Amino acid sequence: MKTILAAQEITKTFREGSESVAVLKGISLSLVRGEIVVMEGRSGSGKTTFLSIAGCILTPSSGRLIINDEEINVRHPGLLPTVRRRCIGFVFQQFNLFPALTALENIEFALNIKGIKGKVAHGRAENLLDAVGLAERKHFLPRDLSGGQKQRIAIARAIAGDPSLLLADEPTANLDTQIGEQILDLFRRLAKQEDRALLIVTHDQKVRAVADRVVEIQDGLLAA
Amino acid sequence: MVDLALKTLLHDKLRFLITVSGVAFAVTLVFVQLGLFFGLLGNASVTIRNLDADLWITPKNTPNIDFANSFPEIYVQRVRSLQQVVRADNLIVFYMFMTLPSGARETTEVYAMENFKAWQFPWRISEGDLDDLKRGDYLFMDQSATRRFGAFRVGDYREVQDRRLKIIGRTQDALSFTTTPLTFMDYHLAQILDPNNFNGRTSYIVVKLEHGADVEAARKEIQRRLPFNDVYTVADWADRSERYWVESTGLGLNMYLTVFLGILVGVVVVTQTLYTSTMEHIKEYGTVKAIGGSNRDIYRIIGKQALIAALLGFAAGALLAFVIRHLVYGMGLKLVIPPQMVAIVFVGSILLCLSAAAVSFRKAAGIDPAIVFRS
Ligand SMILES: Nc1ncnc2c1ncn2[C@@H]1O[C@H](COP(=O)(O)OP(=O)(O)OP(=O)(O)O)[C@@H](O)[C@H]1O
Ligand SMILES: [Mg+2]
Repeated sequence: MKTILAAQEITKTFREGSESVAVLKGISLSLVRGEIVVMEGRSGSGKTTFLSIAGCILTPSSGRLIINDEEINVRHPGLLPTVRRRCIGFVFQQFNLFPALTALENIEFALNIKGIKGKVAHGRAENLLDAVGLAERKHFLPRDLSGGQKQRIAIARAIAGDPSLLLADEPTANLDTQIGEQILDLFRRLAKQEDRALLIVTHDQKVRAVADRVVEIQDGLLAA
Repeated sequence: MVDLALKTLLHDKLRFLITVSGVAFAVTLVFVQLGLFFGLLGNASVTIRNLDADLWITPKNTPNIDFANSFPEIYVQRVRSLQQVVRADNLIVFYMFMTLPSGARETTEVYAMENFKAWQFPWRISEGDLDDLKRGDYLFMDQSATRRFGAFRVGDYREVQDRRLKIIGRTQDALSFTTTPLTFMDYHLAQILDPNNFNGRTSYIVVKLEHGADVEAARKEIQRRLPFNDVYTVADWADRSERYWVESTGLGLNMYLTVFLGILVGVVVVTQTLYTSTMEHIKEYGTVKAIGGSNRDIYRIIGKQALIAALLGFAAGALLAFVIRHLVYGMGLKLVIPPQMVAIVFVGSILLCLSAAAVSFRKAAGIDPAIVFRS
């Protein structure tokens, strides 16, 4: 199986003035194509920090990061946007939709950023909206949509550029249990369909249901 | 392309309105102030530019058209004898008291010549025939005099220096910087009315040269023959008259100051609203970065917002300025807004709005995309 993400001995130490906090102390984690991994851990354990590093948003203090067989030069932050654009899709706890854009435009804009423009982008955005079951809501602004609907659009936006790696930070935390389950279901289906690797970090144990593998972060290390 | 810049602007209509109004206000202020400045300045030289001469001979060190001393009128002979000179005539400019029908006494600025028509001066006549001025105690009065002297009709009499003069014609657009109303009369009548100053004397000599003559050479030659006078080309004399008022009244400083304030207000409003807007949408810009957008994508969004504000603000501001121009015209004030001014203000608005965006650019460049994970 092809390895999509390989994180090796990742550490991260935050410095605030004279104090420094070692949040990640050497985490190694790999995801292969089509695999869904759930990372659990207490609040403040460093889940988001690790996800940010895997998503090329934050640079690690040390360690290696390989995405799609390509070593990411984390010392060169100018290159990171390109990796994000080409390989990674994010889903956030707060959805982070653009409030001024309609459901359809939110997806289309992401495609534009990823270099897909015009009619192609428009058509693809419609298909994606259809895939998350919101075709008839395409002209709605985020404020007129429910939390679950917003997260579906966010998922459609995350897979818009056809990334091989999906990263989700607490995707169900702002949703009712039942809606959360539906979202996870959809997420799982869309990830598996296209053989994408999916890493979900959460402290919600119910997310385990969709996992192929569960890891736990404790004291900056992955617990066995 | 999904236009995030425009949609975000329109999403917050009130802020958008404030931004555009800020630019519009600045643009209007600049137009009105510059327009008034050039309008007033134009009055200072409007007679010089419209009289069909090539050279003006003035008493030594005359600061502007309105404040001339006098010199012997026979000097004109020395000019007429020059080969390139087609025509040279005396012109008297002086002030007179005029008693109005109400009994009030006002000042009028008189231009007096023997043959006005030869100089196509005054240049806009709405009533009367200039040739008739020679025939008696007559005068032409400019339409603008109605503001100070009240309405008048051709055929009315006015008392000037204890003499009854008949108004036999009406001119338009003949203004002075001081807003003193202009009147026109025969050269000899002027000398009779003010014998102390003008008995055998004149204020100016105006000179028309042959077509294609070397103006500068002729100017030098006349200057050589009349060493106790100054000789100017039309452009230099008009500039000198204008410069006098700019420098002596603080009009120039006032104009620069208001224009500067207008620009300042515009830039501050745009900078401020763009910056608050950027700060409020900071998480969205973080999201743009998270999904792979570069700083350049974000500059483009903010830059476009600045540009839209500039364009709409300019359009609204220019429109308002032209409405104001129309309104104040009815009040006797002239706003001069030439196309070059419109072009310069247009380019200026765009440049200033983009520079106002620079602060936001810096903020946006520093956005940590990790912000997307924070609540
Ligand atoms: N930019 C930062 N500067 C300093 N400390 C930070 C920074 N980001 C995170 N931390 C610290 O790192 C630790 C881990 O934070 P992180 O957000 O990764 O935890 P988490 O597991 O996602 O928690 P939660 O479940 O509450 O979201 C926390 O103690 C946090 O205070
Ligand atoms: Mg977290």
